[in-house]
Amino acid sequence: MRLSKTLRVGLVLALPIIVYFAIFFIYPLALLFKEAFTTPTGVLALTNFQKMLTDPVLLTTLQNTFYYFAGSLGLEFAVGFGVAVLLYNYIGRFRTLFRTVIFVPLMVSPVVIGLMWVLLLDSQYGPIDYFIRLLGLQPLNFLGSLSLALPSIIVANAWEYSPFVFLIIYAGLQTVPQQLYEAAAVDGMSRLQAFRYVTLPSIRGVMLVAFLLDAIGVLKGFDLIYVITSGGPGYSTYILSFYAYKVAFVYFQTNYAAALSLLFLAIIATFVTIVLKFTPVEEYLGLRRGKE
Amino acid sequence: MKKPSAMAVTVLVLLALVCLFYLFPVYWTLVTSFKFGNEIFTYPPVIFPLRIDLANFFQPSTTAHATNQTAIGSIPWLIDSTVVAISATLVSTFLIAAPAAYSLVRYIRNIWLGRLILFMTMIPEVVFIVPFFLIVAEVNLLNSWWGLALVYVSFAAPFATWLMMGFFNEVPKSVEEAAEIDGLTPYQIFYRISLRLVTPGLIAALILCFISCWNELLYALILTYSPYPTGAETVPLFITSFLITDKSFAWGGLAAAGIFTMLPTIIMGIFAQRYLARGLTLGAVKG
Amino acid sequence: MSEVVVENLTKKFGNNTVLDGIDLKIVAREYFVLLGPSGSGKTTLLRLIAGLEDITSGSIFIGGKKVNDLSPRERNIAMVFQNYALYPHYNVYDNIALPLRVRHMSPASVREKVREVAETLHIQDLLEKKPKQISGGQQQRVALARALVRDPSVFLLDEPLSNLDAKLRVEARAFLKRLQKELGITTIFVTHDQAEATTMATKIAVLNKGTITQVDDPYRLYTMPNDVFTAGFIGSPGMNLVRGTAKKIGTEWQFKNDDMVVDLGGVNLDGECQVVMGIRPEHVSLAKDGEGLDCTVSNIEPLGSITFVTVNVGKTSVVIQLSGKIDLEAGSPARLVFDKDSILLFGDPDGKRLRTGPDQV
Repeated sequence: MRLSKTLRVGLVLALPIIVYFAIFFIYPLALLFKEAFTTPTGVLALTNFQKMLTDPVLLTTLQNTFYYFAGSLGLEFAVGFGVAVLLYNYIGRFRTLFRTVIFVPLMVSPVVIGLMWVLLLDSQYGPIDYFIRLLGLQPLNFLGSLSLALPSIIVANAWEYSPFVFLIIYAGLQTVPQQLYEAAAVDGMSRLQAFRYVTLPSIRGVMLVAFLLDAIGVLKGFDLIYVITSGGPGYSTYILSFYAYKVAFVYFQTNYAAALSLLFLAIIATFVTIVLKFTPVEEYLGLRRGKE
Repeated sequence: MKKPSAMAVTVLVLLALVCLFYLFPVYWTLVTSFKFGNEIFTYPPVIFPLRIDLANFFQPSTTAHATNQTAIGSIPWLIDSTVVAISATLVSTFLIAAPAAYSLVRYIRNIWLGRLILFMTMIPEVVFIVPFFLIVAEVNLLNSWWGLALVYVSFAAPFATWLMMGFFNEVPKSVEEAAEIDGLTPYQIFYRISLRLVTPGLIAALILCFISCWNELLYALILTYSPYPTGAETVPLFITSFLITDKSFAWGGLAAAGIFTMLPTIIMGIFAQRYLARGLTLGAVKG
Repeated sequence: MSEVVVENLTKKFGNNTVLDGIDLKIVAREYFVLLGPSGSGKTTLLRLIAGLEDITSGSIFIGGKKVNDLSPRERNIAMVFQNYALYPHYNVYDNIALPLRVRHMSPASVREKVREVAETLHIQDLLEKKPKQISGGQQQRVALARALVRDPSVFLLDEPLSNLDAKLRVEARAFLKRLQKELGITTIFVTHDQAEATTMATKIAVLNKGTITQVDDPYRLYTMPNDVFTAGFIGSPGMNLVRGTAKKIGTEWQFKNDDMVVDLGGVNLDGECQVVMGIRPEHVSLAKDGEGLDCTVSNIEPLGSITFVTVNVGKTSVVIQLSGKIDLEAGSPARLVFDKDSILLFGDPDGKRLRTGPDQV
């Protein structure tokens, strides 16, 4: 089979990744399917999926996952974006200082971040509740209350990821040519109008990238839940990734866990497909529609 | 444009609040790690300790009773993390990602494959815990450096590939064509020319991969059960072992451990700041 | 020695035909220029000869050997790109040495050859520097050195002068011409600048929209263009082109349109036909009273030793080249005279030159 030279070279260079792909994607995926469609006794059946439909924990988990995802993504993006705009408009001596400070959470590992927030949120010895008490209010039991646990995780998540969003948006803001703002000023636009009609359209691509990368990070969420609340109190901080882990390695129901994994994969795939519609992959890679 | 003074002040105040938000948790942890045993569990909590005690870093904490690990005690886990992260990063970046990215950008220029790579970077680790466990157990590599490193390649490789694709795209084609005319084979062009021209991207990929391997929790959790020299437990497990196993934890030691094990990534982060910013904003910013 | 022959070459990108049935014969040691506007296909043709693109149909022969399926490496050609394409991470020495190293030459011979070429191009003092540390003109010479160090049989240049500023460009033109003569390598040079082409080439092929309109030496291209496009493209300002009818009145022929009537003398045509009349500015002059056509001066462009005057005859504009200073103003009347022996006629609408005299081949 005489392959064109282009194809031949391309395949040789891609050989490692093809091998990798077979071992770390195709085969595990096949295993997942096999496990998911088998009962613990070894029979091929759909029982795992039937179980999903009647599992109350799963329902709570899915709700939590949704709130966690929407809340984290929203908060991170809002904070990151807001800080980027703030710093961009700030003209003063401390600019580099602020930039360095914002960079700090990125250097701390997620597990340690979890640790930090456990210390902060402790209702007896933690500084946050201390300040609340100083204000004369009742102390809030962040990690022990059903309603506050998930929001606490969301805030911790925002702490972890908003600098990431900030970095991207901030860099994007800096590529907007100053002349556009000057033209806007001459046209008589107020600062707010300039923001709306000049800044926002210019950074749309960047915002999309930030959103995408942020979403990826949040979707992978496991570390913080595991470290801070272990799913509790009750099931209030169970998210899908954590639940799947528990089912697989604490309850040892590998079949059901495989089914849950497939569910998760399906959700991700749907989300990614929708987002990919808006991402100019071609531009990023220099590929063009079809062959030249 | 001239700004009214009130606006500038507001911005400054807001930024200061933001800084407080980002810095305070770190400060608090740092401070806790320096406190004397009995100062940690006081009420009201001491915000500005007057005395600094480094015992938490080096000696068993006096309030711990189940765990006698300290910051220094984390060294076996550090060794594991270092070996696993470095090997997984090197394999993922140099062996898999670089040639694959170059191939996708210059030779096999297929949009769907590009999207596939992007998709693979977005798959959460959780999805494959069951199959990976089964596979690693089957080949008898549980609790070993090999096993963990190989599994780490599964998320490091697509990510590195995606990153490198953007960088290779920026190499001017005319330089590669000149090399072709000068008589270089495609592989020579890749190795001698293109790869050298994407050094910042390579460094960004290496650093980001290393950091994500270093911080990884879930796979380490399920694939290892003891530290060096008997096993391959990594640093995140060291820290969580404090938190999970015992509820009246050794906060001082814990905080100290947190600070101590953060140092490698902090050093890398400071050192490589400009490469990181470039890597993250690539493609989006260029437009 | 190496001649280059192109036979019925066609190149398509998808449904887009960029080159259609190109036939060329480039003799050894020739300085051959591919001239044409953007999009004419000249760069594509060069790249096909280099082997950087695949042929859709047709053949290319270098030194008598068919090279269609050969990679650039195997064709023994050298190329200088518009942006020079130097290896930014290598210093000048390594840039020039790379082609030799890849052929496993011994380090000693590599050193010798590189020094030799560097001296020819006067860049021997730059060998340690990196590309970004040297000027544009110097970068160009490094690119030339890298190309020449291999003793290629054909030398391809893709608009290498367009990145230089005006003064450097003129110097580089002379330099290249001299160099090529000394070394005697078959050279194919692509440009859109017709002045560049005519000053440097031994032969020029004019391309328009993927086909060759004419292959000739610069002088013939100027005096005997084969079609309207070439006539208008060569020369600055271009040839005056006016549409109208050629008709025989009595024994003589006349060119007539709404604005003017011009004597053509004894041209050799079959019958009355639609034509485009072409005449160069230097063959038009202003007459004293009595002769010529009525016209009005519309624009005067003094260039020092010559002046270009644009006049309007009715709705037609004609450009005249005159010597020295002119005492005329825009709006003043004048009388226009054509040198009828220098008039060329082209068919309308096909644009091809009509053979109207014994000297016109």
